Amino acid sequence: MTEPGQITVLLHEWSEGKPASIEPLFEMVYPQLRVIAGALFRGERPECMLQPTSVVNELFLKLIRQRSLKFEDREHFYSLSARLMRRVLVDHARSERRQKRDGGIPVPLHEELAWIDARDAEMIDLDRVLEELEKVDPKKCRMVELRFFLGFTAEETAELLHTSKATVDRDLRFVRGWLYDRLHAA
Amino acid sequence: MNDSENWEHLQSLFHLAEMTPEHDRERVLIEHCPDADLRERVLEILRASTVESSTTPKQTPMQAGKIGPYALIRHLGSGGLGSVYLVERMVGGSAQRAALKVLAPHAAGASFIERFYREEDILASLNHPNITHMFDAGLTETGQPYLVMEYVDGLHLDVYSDQHKLSIADRIALFLEVCEAVAYAHRNLVIHLDLKPSNILVTPEADVKLLDFGTSKIIQSDSLLTTTVLATPAYASPEQLRNEPVTTASDIYALGAVLFELLAGRRPGGKASVAIMIERAVREQAPEKVTQAITPEAADLRGVSETRLRQLLSGDLSIIIAKCLAPRPEERYPSIDMLIEDLRRYLDGRPVLARPQTAVYRIGKFVRRNRKSVIAAAAACLLLIGALTYAEVQQERALREGQRALRMQTFLYKLFRLANSNYTGKPSATVPEFLQLGVKMLPQYIKDPTDLREAQMSLAESMFENGDLDNAQQVFTQTIASAKAAKDYDAQAESEAFSGNIAYVQGQNDLGDKLTADALNLSRRPKISHATRVWSAIYFAWNRDNNGFKSDDNVRLLQSAVKEAREANLSPHETADAIYDLGQDLEVRGRLDEAEPLYREALKVYGDDPSALCDRSAVYGDLAELIVMRGDVSRSLPYYQLAYEGAKACAGPDSSLALSEREYIADADMKLGHPADALNIMLQDIPTWRKIDGHTQLIAEPLYFFAQANVLTGHNDEAIAAAREGIDVQTGKIAPTDRRFGVFHMIWAQALFNQQHFAEALPQAQLADRILINSIAISPGAKKINAQAHQLLADIQAKLPH
Repeated sequence: MTEPGQITVLLHEWSEGKPASIEPLFEMVYPQLRVIAGALFRGERPECMLQPTSVVNELFLKLIRQRSLKFEDREHFYSLSARLMRRVLVDHARSERRQKRDGGIPVPLHEELAWIDARDAEMIDLDRVLEELEKVDPKKCRMVELRFFLGFTAEETAELLHTSKATVDRDLRFVRGWLYDRLHAA
Repeated sequence: MNDSENWEHLQSLFHLAEMTPEHDRERVLIEHCPDADLRERVLEILRASTVESSTTPKQTPMQAGKIGPYALIRHLGSGGLGSVYLVERMVGGSAQRAALKVLAPHAAGASFIERFYREEDILASLNHPNITHMFDAGLTETGQPYLVMEYVDGLHLDVYSDQHKLSIADRIALFLEVCEAVAYAHRNLVIHLDLKPSNILVTPEADVKLLDFGTSKIIQSDSLLTTTVLATPAYASPEQLRNEPVTTASDIYALGAVLFELLAGRRPGGKASVAIMIERAVREQAPEKVTQAITPEAADLRGVSETRLRQLLSGDLSIIIAKCLAPRPEERYPSIDMLIEDLRRYLDGRPVLARPQTAVYRIGKFVRRNRKSVIAAAAACLLLIGALTYAEVQQERALREGQRALRMQTFLYKLFRLANSNYTGKPSATVPEFLQLGVKMLPQYIKDPTDLREAQMSLAESMFENGDLDNAQQVFTQTIASAKAAKDYDAQAESEAFSGNIAYVQGQNDLGDKLTADALNLSRRPKISHATRVWSAIYFAWNRDNNGFKSDDNVRLLQSAVKEAREANLSPHETADAIYDLGQDLEVRGRLDEAEPLYREALKVYGDDPSALCDRSAVYGDLAELIVMRGDVSRSLPYYQLAYEGAKACAGPDSSLALSEREYIADADMKLGHPADALNIMLQDIPTWRKIDGHTQLIAEPLYFFAQANVLTGHNDEAIAAAREGIDVQTGKIAPTDRRFGVFHMIWAQALFNQQHFAEALPQAQLADRILINSIAISPGAKKINAQAHQLLADIQAKLPH
């Protein structure tokens, strides 16, 4: 069982610039989330219908119920949430152990990504190219996660990352092209 | 190709290229980048970025065939929960049309059919012309659950209103029909939980039809998903987004959101993502103002200019909508009937219902207490436990064990919540729901009609204490009828007394008059219990005295009630309540010498019963007030202190109860010539007030003290700001001639006078004087304020040329 305050402490440390805190933090929240996600995938159909509303909701409520976490650090909180969302989707796709399709089908990167039934193989590919992006430009990777996995609007993404909507739109046009290109390249 | 080396350059070239027309791209890129490989890379990425995202393979609706016994005619639409089809079924040789909704597998588990049959009775009992019927449920061949309901050929509420360019008044009239239907369902203990414009259809004949009533109930129970997923986030109440218990107040929120959009043209909160909506819900953020959502297009569709639309929505309508959209359920309208009442008042051009204010000897009389709360709640619980345990023994074999054990467990848990929530003064969202369940369950366990009535009455009294006036009233209406039929005069009188009291609280004074009078008459028959007689007398006299018909008969009635309570040895809590009520009645009449000993006696009778903490604090407060009325402000202070301590203990330091008592300490400080102390208190408390009460007129009184403390300490600008706010928050909620406006105008005038802005001060002072002189001032304090206002006006006039 997780100590109620532990998550908060770690989140705080992480936001204070202790990158080492992210892993234990992740490991602490993720199993709980996985249970919820498991229930959502219960449909057991070829395409999964993940309802991020509920995943995000449960995650939020888990974190927020720890009283001391009062959205003082929204940026880190949401970045973590977005990463968790990504991991839920990818892990699910992996667990389905579905065969990788022939490459060349573009993953629909629009704001509803998390809302739609992206195919498992595409999800695993996407995860892989996102890892590449993470290495080159972690900030843009965060942006993609927020926008596409957490369903943030462009305005909200911009506000959270302290930049303008125009910048977010611009950056995402480039990143989208780059990701597609990398997907094809594989 | 390693992009990371040229990452920044790559990006700037990309953006350069995308801005350049295609025919010119080559040239421009060469100009900026000598490296041919890099240029090619930029073009690759640019090509990839313009790839159309393949539209996601959404669930394709079925085109033909059969679902269960239903023949498909056509696909009507798809939503978050699944797809809806127009279907047909042969019934006795004729084709019957219906709407069939196939639910997404995530929305309902397999046991949902069982649940459908369990809920069927309740759903079938929803017989209302504006509510569509649900007839059937089943599983498709592939195991997907579906529901079958009445087919309605109509347009969504918002689409219909826009197509017909309905005016604001017409839109409200249409919306009122929606409210009536939801209120009806609530009276039958069915909550909708997914009200939204697309669930509200308007037929070509302009009939309103609500869809999906009961769906949430059927889907929810065993789905692992929370209500959040099931409701449409944009209209879901904050408690739904917070995954907290839902009540009828959740529907009131959704109705507020629908009304917001219907009037302004877009949803409250704009285009926020679900994540941000949940964040707002968790933070209990105040709702967006409806006037901020207005667009020129919306104004055009309502047949008015943008400015006019803003005017129309800025006054009472924005107050009504904000009240529906309050982040906490307990701050919303306690029932849809009150929302309906306010909208009707708006349409009739009458002021919308403010909480009924009674005697006016401060700014308004502060209602300090919750009558009878703990007694009724605890009694109801004990009674239900008794009933359940009894039934357990009686019918053990007949009942499904697991379910019963679970019910008992839940029940005991809720009992705690119930007792606890009264103790802390914070209403719990689950209590009304639980009580409703209790009312529904009772007939299964108690077969004796007299016992059943008793139990129903106790539950209804608890509902009343918890502010669930609608449902309480509904149950009392039943018990009145059944008592009448059985000639059970005692139960009839008790039910009518409570029902009458609720009617007064809801502003239905005529009904209240009738019911309490009837109860009083019945209570004079032989063989009526003492408690019934005491409560009939109190509710009759107290309400008449507080609604404009003060008479000595009422005092005599209260006196005899007190006498009877004492002699018959009613519970200390009830006896003390009666004594306190009589004391208040005498105090309001200025009969201070008689009121004071009664207050002291009430304190003694309440004793140290922990459930009477709030009541005792209230008595201390009234005692302090009484001492102030006698002109001895310094002696009142320790009593206010006791009232404050008590309120803190029973309702919490940030409760309106505790804060109000502290404001009276500040008031006393000012009267004693220590305005700086008062200002200190108010500077601390005003932000807390704003947190609990940003936009209703509860904050008016603290603002008054704040304004006064400012003016007395020479902070004239701050005083004017506070006065202005005090007037704003009350505008539209109380009559413009109310003295609660007068006092703010007076402070405003005084501040301007202090700043030597005599000409500006004049109209404020004139207004203050005119309002105050025409209002009732009973206490010496109020009379003094009137005199001051008059003097101020004279002083200002003396400074002006003519």
